Amino acid sequence: MIQRITKTQQGEQMTHTRRRVGLLAGVLVTAGLLAACGSDDGGDEARAGITLAVNPWTGSAVNANVAKVVLEADLGTAVTFTEIDEFATWPGMDAGDIDAVLEVWPSGHAADYEQYIDGKKSVVDLGLLGPEAKIGWYVPTFVVEQYPELATWEGFKDPELAKLFSTAESGADLGQFLMGDPTYVTYDEQIIANLGLPLKYVVGGSEATLIETLKTAVADQKPVLVQFWKPHWLQLELPLSEVKLPEVTEACAASAAAGDGGYACDYPADALYKAASAKLEEKNKAAFDFLKKFQLTTEQQSEIAGYVDRDGMAPLDAAKKWVEANPDAVKAWLG
Amino acid sequence: MSTTVPATPTERPVPLRSLDRVVGIWVGLGVVVGAVVLGTLVFGIDVPSWFDNHLQQWSKSAYGWTVDHRDDYWLFVFVFEPISTLLDTAVTTVADLLALLHWPGVLTLVGFTAWRVGGRSASVASVLSLFAIGLLGLWEPAMATMAIMVVSVVLALVIGIPLGVWSARSDRVDQILRPLLDTAQVMPTFVYLIPLVVMFGIQNPSAVLATVVYAVPPAVRLTNHGLRAVPTVIEEVGVAFGGTPRQRLLKVQAPVARPTILLGLNQVIMMAFGIVVIAAIVGTDDLGRLVLNTLQKNDIGAAAAPGVAIVLAAVALDRMSTGQRAVRRASRAPSALSRLWAARSIRDRWLIAGGTVVVVAVLSALAGADEFPEAWKVTIDGPVDAVLGWTKEHLRSGVPVIGGTQSISDALITHVLEPLRSWLVSVPWLAVVGGFAALGLLLGGWRLALLVTTCTVAIASMGEVPGGEGGTTAMWDIAMDTLSLVLVSIVISVVIAVPLGIVAGRSRRFDRALRPLLDFAQVMPQFVYLIPVVALFGASRATGVVAAVVYAVPPAIRLTSLGLQEVPVPPREAATSFGATSRQELIKVQLPLALRSILLGVNQTMLMVLATVVIAALVGAGGLGLQVIYGLTKSLQQIGQGVAGGLSIVLLAIVLDRLTQAWGDRADPQRRQ
Repeated sequence: MIQRITKTQQGEQMTHTRRRVGLLAGVLVTAGLLAACGSDDGGDEARAGITLAVNPWTGSAVNANVAKVVLEADLGTAVTFTEIDEFATWPGMDAGDIDAVLEVWPSGHAADYEQYIDGKKSVVDLGLLGPEAKIGWYVPTFVVEQYPELATWEGFKDPELAKLFSTAESGADLGQFLMGDPTYVTYDEQIIANLGLPLKYVVGGSEATLIETLKTAVADQKPVLVQFWKPHWLQLELPLSEVKLPEVTEACAASAAAGDGGYACDYPADALYKAASAKLEEKNKAAFDFLKKFQLTTEQQSEIAGYVDRDGMAPLDAAKKWVEANPDAVKAWLG
Repeated sequence: MSTTVPATPTERPVPLRSLDRVVGIWVGLGVVVGAVVLGTLVFGIDVPSWFDNHLQQWSKSAYGWTVDHRDDYWLFVFVFEPISTLLDTAVTTVADLLALLHWPGVLTLVGFTAWRVGGRSASVASVLSLFAIGLLGLWEPAMATMAIMVVSVVLALVIGIPLGVWSARSDRVDQILRPLLDTAQVMPTFVYLIPLVVMFGIQNPSAVLATVVYAVPPAVRLTNHGLRAVPTVIEEVGVAFGGTPRQRLLKVQAPVARPTILLGLNQVIMMAFGIVVIAAIVGTDDLGRLVLNTLQKNDIGAAAAPGVAIVLAAVALDRMSTGQRAVRRASRAPSALSRLWAARSIRDRWLIAGGTVVVVAVLSALAGADEFPEAWKVTIDGPVDAVLGWTKEHLRSGVPVIGGTQSISDALITHVLEPLRSWLVSVPWLAVVGGFAALGLLLGGWRLALLVTTCTVAIASMGEVPGGEGGTTAMWDIAMDTLSLVLVSIVISVVIAVPLGIVAGRSRRFDRALRPLLDFAQVMPQFVYLIPVVALFGASRATGVVAAVVYAVPPAIRLTSLGLQEVPVPPREAATSFGATSRQELIKVQLPLALRSILLGVNQTMLMVLATVVIAALVGAGGLGLQVIYGLTKSLQQIGQGVAGGLSIVLLAIVLDRLTQAWGDRADPQRRQ
């Protein structure tokens, strides 16, 4: 390295292009030195630090921050976050770059569960988080107020009522059913076909598109029918009503499992769960045991999410506030 | 022309080859029509369900295997793992270096480099851009983005420029590389993003690799294009003076091709920054992540700031490396400062430059300037939301004459997109294949016809996917859906871009005024401005068209204007001396000579449109883009769907690319002679 530095310095006769190379070499040398300096931080703390995945929704940030507050205060475990897509989280846990994720929506990750938890066993199931999520069909509340028969799916059998929902994409004869993010679980196309509804299934493509459509519809008082879910921050902001679909039956569940296209009822509830890298137990047993016991009720999670979404608090501050006010809950996770 | 039929002096000679060609084309068209009719009778109007290349199943098992063996297979352990570590080290090192310099040091370094490379205005532009990022309160995440981008751009150039030189020298290399570059440019990042994570790990390595794949093609293409466009006369001078190939490349070709190669660098940077938000999916902690997080809350006002910061960072890096002065270095008298600088020895220059940066960095460290002063922070949420609110309220309907965006959207879907789509789906699939084959025959000849046929048939062989009436849909029908959207978007883009490019090519001032706007359109994360567009045009294909047009117009304008500017002075002067008006000069001299470049612009437009197919699907356009999104996220279950959908997009791109390219070659005056 020193040789290279002297070489660059005696470059009087260097040609124009050489000078550029010299610059690059200079940067590289400096870079190398810096890298060498940066890598000697030995770890003599009591427990290995862990990395939690934070997926891009409030609930995920709430869980991770509450866990961080307790882990750092009571278990001497430093917690860092990796903000990452929910699907990229799994190969991250597989490699051990991410130690745990505290909120997985089961409906979207059946394949990951099969691949990493059942198959390769590089990820372990940490049990339920507590809250249950529920997907369903939604309309803005003003629609139900104007047309009470649209509170249940049977109302949509009427072609005239269905046409209230028509757009250029659905054509004038059918109503539009809008699906948001196509990666979320969906039986809507089957439900429409099997219940014989005069609706056209249109994929908006993303949650953001879905939300923008809902907001515009409410602002314009124009009916729209969408797939949506709870818990979601938008539910606090916009008056939305769930359309009642036929009760979940065993036949429905069987059809979903078989994938035979015969699904014709409501969505089952999604019990959110936690998962960790298989390497975590060895790396930091105390943190592993804690995360296994870690649970929040729906009410607790929404309370903290409210601090963030409604009051504009930073997730970490919201978590601290809640942890201070709820020592009993924390004790249960540690005991 | 040596084989012309002897003819009487008064008659024009009829070239035999051209007669052959005409007959050949008619015979060829006959064969195509016959094959289509016969094929349709045998195989039917729809793609038969047995016609399936099993790519979907194959990708699924390949992916599953990779997941299971990433810790024990030699390739992953001994090749990918070190690459991953190296890339991660490179990014963190650049990031550490930037942090060590503190923000005043970074500004000094950037301002200085930009001044040397691009001149005073470039220096001012890049420093102001970075300063503005600081004002937005986004200095730290911006430096994280910068670190990833610097590594990616350098890597893209290290790979791209040699490949460009190589393919300029060898037609065979050029031919082999072209489909690969098309694939790299058009294959949606979503298809390989999660597999990249599986092979190279989360965060920096995967982000860099995804960016490099996407940013390499313009480096190769424009280097190649620039070197090939070096006039033969100039080349021959180099040969006459006895230059070795290496000398000719460095001393003759490279300087002449410099503007085009620099445009290549500009495009590499723009492409790289264009992918910042998508790269954030794999867990980078930077501007892209901020955009994703705010979009999740549908908070466009808050997403605007990191979005704008991405544009500013791109502008800073671009102006620093490809300033105007680098293009016209020779044509301007050096300023007093430059003369003073030139009088120093090289060692002095190094000492002064390095010294200044170090001194500034040390002073900043002493002054505790670790973070950009919070007190200076400016927020733009309010104004952005106000403008958006006004737009949504007033443009959607009730605009005199045109109605409003809602009625434009409805008309575009009902009267253009839907009829075209249902027509393409309803005609026998072999007729579509035959149509492309006939076009290939007319524009290029047998070989092109064969290539186009192979590619379209390959799309038909992608099998079926879940969804649609009856539970499954043929990938072919989905591809036709996308084709209709793509064709409409290309036409609209070209209609907008070529006239603007012509004006920009003739007026330097307009060109300069347009440049930041083009950078903005190309780099501003599309999602940030498309979500408001959803409010205007609905979750629909019309919004998809807007996405494609906004993204595809900039390169077409750039290439058209560059083509006009590159027309050598002698022919233009000749025209002027013959008394041609400015308009005549444009139409008779400049445009024909620039046609190749303009058609390259059209060609790029098309590739850009195809590159936005996925983004378009995110705002309601459906089609192949949607298949790709399924592939990204339902990981194992539907990864095959994503691969097959992505490859169909690439195949469509290759078909359209080769056809426009052949058209461009026919229009090339040099080849016609």
